[in-house]
Amino acid sequence: MNTHIPLSLIGISHKTAEVEIREEVAFSKEEQIELNKKLIKEFNLKGSIVLSTCNRTEIYLSGDLSINEINEIRVWLNSFKKCNCFTSDKYFYVYQGKEATYHFFKVISGLDSQIIGEPQITGQVKEAYNLSHDSHSTDALLNKLFNYGLQAQKKVRNETFLSDGAVSISFAGVELARKIFTGLANKKALLIGAGDTAELAALHFLEKGVGQIYIANRTFDKAEVLAKRFNGEAFTLDQLPWVLGEVDIVISATASTEFILTREIVEPILKKRSQNPLFIIDLAIPRDIDPELDTLDTVYLYNLDDLNEIVQMNLAKRKEEIPKAEKIILQHVHEFVQWISTHASSQIINQLREYFEQLRKRELVRLRSRLPDEGMEHVEYLTESIINKIMHQHIKVLKKNINNPQLYEQYLDFLFEMYEFEKK
Amino acid sequence: MQFVSQFLSYLLPVLYLILLYIYYNIFTGKNRKYESKTQTLLLVLLIIHGIEIVLRQLYLKAMPLSSAFDASSFLAFSILLVYYIIERSFENRASGFFIILFAFFPALVSAFNHVWEKESNPLLANPTFAIHASLNVIGYTALAISAIYALMYIIQYKNIKQRRFNRIYDQLPPVTYLENMSKRAVLIGIILMGVGIMMGHFQTKQAFGRYFFWDPKVIITDFIWLMYLSVYVTSHFKKWSARSMAYLSIFGFSILLVSIIIVFSVGKSFHEFY
Repeated sequence: MNTHIPLSLIGISHKTAEVEIREEVAFSKEEQIELNKKLIKEFNLKGSIVLSTCNRTEIYLSGDLSINEINEIRVWLNSFKKCNCFTSDKYFYVYQGKEATYHFFKVISGLDSQIIGEPQITGQVKEAYNLSHDSHSTDALLNKLFNYGLQAQKKVRNETFLSDGAVSISFAGVELARKIFTGLANKKALLIGAGDTAELAALHFLEKGVGQIYIANRTFDKAEVLAKRFNGEAFTLDQLPWVLGEVDIVISATASTEFILTREIVEPILKKRSQNPLFIIDLAIPRDIDPELDTLDTVYLYNLDDLNEIVQMNLAKRKEEIPKAEKIILQHVHEFVQWISTHASSQIINQLREYFEQLRKRELVRLRSRLPDEGMEHVEYLTESIINKIMHQHIKVLKKNINNPQLYEQYLDFLFEMYEFEKK
Repeated sequence: MQFVSQFLSYLLPVLYLILLYIYYNIFTGKNRKYESKTQTLLLVLLIIHGIEIVLRQLYLKAMPLSSAFDASSFLAFSILLVYYIIERSFENRASGFFIILFAFFPALVSAFNHVWEKESNPLLANPTFAIHASLNVIGYTALAISAIYALMYIIQYKNIKQRRFNRIYDQLPPVTYLENMSKRAVLIGIILMGVGIMMGHFQTKQAFGRYFFWDPKVIITDFIWLMYLSVYVTSHFKKWSARSMAYLSIFGFSILLVSIIIVFSVGKSFHEFY
């Protein structure tokens, strides 16, 4: 018999539904707070967390729920959101107990993401949890679930390469720059072209700390507009030889059909740069940069195909890490299950103590009328001692079986039946 | 005391090997479990090695570095110490495997070749000699570190140029970092060796009343030092590329290593004049 985990999950993700459906069932922050409170009240739950991102909406519910009750909740969600998606088995999945726990740990660790290992999901889960926790919609189970999930995520991040390596073209460029230069803070980047592609790449470099951006374009006005945006400087293509002497990174994405940078332009500049490395990213098709430049000692030239190869390689590396990450997650699920067992045992120990204490007090009250006051304190002490010894025996057996879930559950069931306790 | 010191000297190569194995696992990504413990392990090994050196000198009643294998042991210790400082400063463990590998060999050689006869040569008991020898050994250490960083530079440079994005590429630091470390190390080596060489010449003049410019070890050390100095200065003015400098650093250290091995194999001691 498995340890019972009173946890249920109703969810939809990029794996089960297209964006148009996911849009219909997404919840804003205010809706999440309202939904948590209403679910708890309407269905007598102990806690609720709503996770709503562009790739998934998942509702984690703490409480003993049967499948029928979950279906009632799904119907209720349809009316809350004024749609009929929640009851569609095509789009929505339902997990309970250990399955729900495992799924949650996978989600928070980035194993269930569209891009495996992406780190944003952890922040999104934290946000969802905080919203719920701050509005008093979580209970001990959900709090522990979140804590164990975070521990699993940290271990996956530290002991596997699941989140390592760039998985987009722009980040691949930034990553390469980090393998060439010791830091990007005091580096200058030149953008050749003022289109969207170059702009996006420049944005990523700026986000990662590049110190200064220069923009060179055939049309000076367009270069100026972009330069203002990035707080940089604008140049024309004629000024390229001078600018090349000042920068460390060049990102080129123009619509030119001829080479913008050739060996004849670049080679004389290299000596003036004191042989400092020059990293050139050519994002254009047809290429803007003469491939001959890559033969120069201090020039590192990468084009779209090269960067794409890096991205594919990183994605493959991440996939190789999945078994390792799953093993870590399973270990944490096992630890969470053990906590549930210990938590259940501390509840029953409290219930037992209460039961025996009430029994002792009742019997003492009955006895008090038949015995003299003198010596009553000895009788009190005697009865307390007997109760403690009985309790000790119960606790000893519970602790002895804690690592054997089957025996443990059997013993718990026996105690519940013998003392006619209600399972909480 | 001899027993403890001997035991430690045999233990040292084993400990170096264990550390090397840990760094190999970190470098290849096979096991990252010990990543947070490397500085502690380095410090422990440094302390043990330091104790071994001190105990041996106390027993022999000699200044450190009074024999070739003493120098070899001290070289291993210096390399490890320099690496410990580098890892603490930059929190980068990628070069650990290469540098500790380089330290392992002198530790191994010295462990099985120590002489346990007490030193009777008054020259070698002179503290000035110890300073001269230490400066030279630390200078060699710096040149060794420069060559190691130069080698890593070449590997990473080729990885990037040839689009080889393997585990080594992942683990090695940026090429400019490797270039700067190599340059800094060679400069430190040139300065320390220069001072050490001057001190050596001064000491022989004091002890024997003349200079020994024709001693093989003196010729080789002075020549190599002059070679390093002239290449360093020329490269600064001629603006040679980092790749050329890396190859020159590796070549220079190879010459240094081969010459030292030849001198120690052919000669009876450090210098002919004692």
